[in-house]
Amino acid sequence: MALLKREDWYDLARTTSWTPSYVSEEVLFPEEMSGSRGIPMQVWETYDEPYKTSYPEYVSIQREKDAGTYSVKAALERAAFVDKADPGWVSTMIAHYGAIPLGEYLASIGEARMARFSKAPGNRNMAVFGMMDENRHTQLQLFFPHANIKRGRQWDWAHKALRTNEWAAVAARSLFDDITTARDAISTAIMLTFAFETGFTNMQFLGLAADAAETGDHTFASLISSIQTDESRHSQQGGPALKILIENGKQAEAQQLVDVAIWRSWKLFSVLTGPIMDYYTPVAGRKLSFKEFMLEWIVGQFERQLLDMGLEKPWYWDILMRDLDSTHHGMHLGVWFWRRTVWWNPAAGVTPEDREWLEAKYPGWNKNWGRCWDVITDNLLNGREALTHPETLPLICHMCNLPIACTPGDGWDGQDWPLEHAGRLYHFGSEVDRWCFEINPDQYKGHQTIVDRFLAGLILPPNLKGALKYMGLAPSEQGQDAHGYAWIEKFRAAKAAAA
Amino acid sequence: MTDSPLPTLKTWSYLSTGARRRPSEYEVVSTGLHYHTLDQNRPWELDPNIPMAQWYKRYRNQSPLRHPDWDAFRDPDEMIYRTYNLVQDGQENYVYGLFDQFNERGHDQLLDLEWVRFLADAYTPSRYLFHALQLGSAYVHQMAPASTITNCATYATADHLRWVTHTAYRTRELANAFPGLGFAECERERWETDPRWQGFRELVEQALVAWDWAEAFTAFFLIVKPAVEEAVLNQLGELARAHGDTLLGLLTQAQTRDAERHRRWGVALVTMALEQPGNREVLTGWLGKWVPLAEAAVEEFCAGFPSDGRAAAQRAKHAMASFRGSLLLAASHLTQPNLDQ
Repeated sequence: MALLKREDWYDLARTTSWTPSYVSEEVLFPEEMSGSRGIPMQVWETYDEPYKTSYPEYVSIQREKDAGTYSVKAALERAAFVDKADPGWVSTMIAHYGAIPLGEYLASIGEARMARFSKAPGNRNMAVFGMMDENRHTQLQLFFPHANIKRGRQWDWAHKALRTNEWAAVAARSLFDDITTARDAISTAIMLTFAFETGFTNMQFLGLAADAAETGDHTFASLISSIQTDESRHSQQGGPALKILIENGKQAEAQQLVDVAIWRSWKLFSVLTGPIMDYYTPVAGRKLSFKEFMLEWIVGQFERQLLDMGLEKPWYWDILMRDLDSTHHGMHLGVWFWRRTVWWNPAAGVTPEDREWLEAKYPGWNKNWGRCWDVITDNLLNGREALTHPETLPLICHMCNLPIACTPGDGWDGQDWPLEHAGRLYHFGSEVDRWCFEINPDQYKGHQTIVDRFLAGLILPPNLKGALKYMGLAPSEQGQDAHGYAWIEKFRAAKAAAA
Repeated sequence: MTDSPLPTLKTWSYLSTGARRRPSEYEVVSTGLHYHTLDQNRPWELDPNIPMAQWYKRYRNQSPLRHPDWDAFRDPDEMIYRTYNLVQDGQENYVYGLFDQFNERGHDQLLDLEWVRFLADAYTPSRYLFHALQLGSAYVHQMAPASTITNCATYATADHLRWVTHTAYRTRELANAFPGLGFAECERERWETDPRWQGFRELVEQALVAWDWAEAFTAFFLIVKPAVEEAVLNQLGELARAHGDTLLGLLTQAQTRDAERHRRWGVALVTMALEQPGNREVLTGWLGKWVPLAEAAVEEFCAGFPSDGRAAAQRAKHAMASFRGSLLLAASHLTQPNLDQ
């Protein structure tokens, strides 16, 4: 062979640490950026990334992937799927594109944090590919929705959302900043790549791709499943970092990083992905329920991986199992109720067929959330649309920045989890959110939720109009019911038939 | 905000400036992506005083190099991800084609042994130097105040990993052809102790802790990299050709294509910075700080050449000065003092 194999020279390309002498190692790798936790450089040099690739392989493979993804887009563009798609599915795309592309771009900074400050040379090299991947994901997920910009102002939010103070954007930033950019390199490897990208991106990119394919949106399915092939490579950076922490007496700290990141990710997914999968996607296109996807992609995967790694399941696992049945239903109800405050048109997703599906997937749904939807449906049937909009602000959790959601109806379990810290009273949506704060209050204590800002006089005038202005939502951008309430007609017909 | 319906858009509202020109794909996917620059006192949606918030406030938001709209920066190459891979896949096919062909024809076996010993001292340890460029670019990436700057640093970081990779590849080939000369074993020791590398090592160790984003950009992209590219790519490449090492000459030439792209956006960024009063003095100060260290590094490196090291150093320093001159030229309509030291 005239060409060497990758394994012949790969180790040399990641043997790049040296002993600095013109500046100290501590100065070259400041602890706040590096997070080596006192573990010596030579130990970090044992870091061994399980998924290996090289520069020439990377540019070749990625070139091919992009050729495929952009070709699918070009080929299907004339079919104008968006114009024929169910409005609920269009909302899915608009919500996804608003929340994701700039978050992906932020993740490239997290990757760059590792690329510069990780003491593990293998991590530093792999993170360069991670930086590139996130650059790709940003550009794809801006280019694709941009093609729809003439179809309505909400498509603009693919670029705009995370640049505003819209409440869901604040919640998304709160998570992304916490696990992606506001921590040291090793924390980032664990929280971003191990905890978030291993499982949760599977949910968003493979789970949603399955729904997209079922719905007939092959452009979106091809796009996000291609993205996930990158995620599944660079998400493997966290595992070897965890291994080093565990082997060097930092197991408790590692466990805590994992636990916080999984919980915080779950909460954002409960408002972003849960409603999309269980309500916006037409019933016929729902491959699995959100809970089933969670059980397959998150619960099962983490249980295996954490135990393999020598870690425990998070202490709150039973709480998470319980909340899989409830949290996202409350979030969905809230998003639909406060629909004018989001950049997409929430689909109610509660036709008789939907409710039948929901009851089958979540036994007891009708006795709990169904009760609220009964009232909403009744109001709409009787021309009282105004009553289906809120007149108050929700209570916002000081950890996840999402409304404190609970189960209504027979299963009523409404509870605030307050905490007084340094003279300030905080509110949390669960004991786990409160725990995330309690173990690291300095990370969060000075942050103001949207409601804090309202009460502090930062939102003027202090009413809904002022709030919408603060959130950057003009009338043609504010969410409406995705189907223009057409879904109530089946109830009207049923009522007429019964009369 | 008006209550009347907003007009239909042709592109992002962010780019809808009223100009009739349709934005390019580059602009659609590259501009205005750093949301954390919008509130200068609270970069992250967390407590505004956590260490990472302070780091960004101090080293990015309070940089002495100021511009009211860094987001207006545009990469003259308008490089985006998919074109980067297209270009670099082609470049890598060329380089690995070279590796393949030169291996087939027994290139290494034909090299003079003295030259091979020289490569062990003066070439293969360069992967540490290239890795330092990789680290420096990754820092500029995470600290730059505009996504259009960050993107340039993203691709530069990957390019530097490319150079590391080429060097690792050639190191293994040379180790296979010449066991016992320390290839693939002694590079770290030579990087840490051989006098020819100490100037560069001092330079990059110092530059890697220039935390201000603009100083890091200036140090790496205007001073350190040109020094490395002129001495370790161009002069070493020339020397290689003179010693029958055509492969190294062609390899460094191929790597220089990346460097030329880095310089194009570097010049564009300096030109933009010089639009603002006060920035010329800031840049001049940084050049004054880093140029002497870089020139000393070049001299020490070239002093280890088997012949004409002094002349090679002069040529490298001249080329570096010429590049700095091009910064001045690019901004000549903006006035005065000489940026060169």
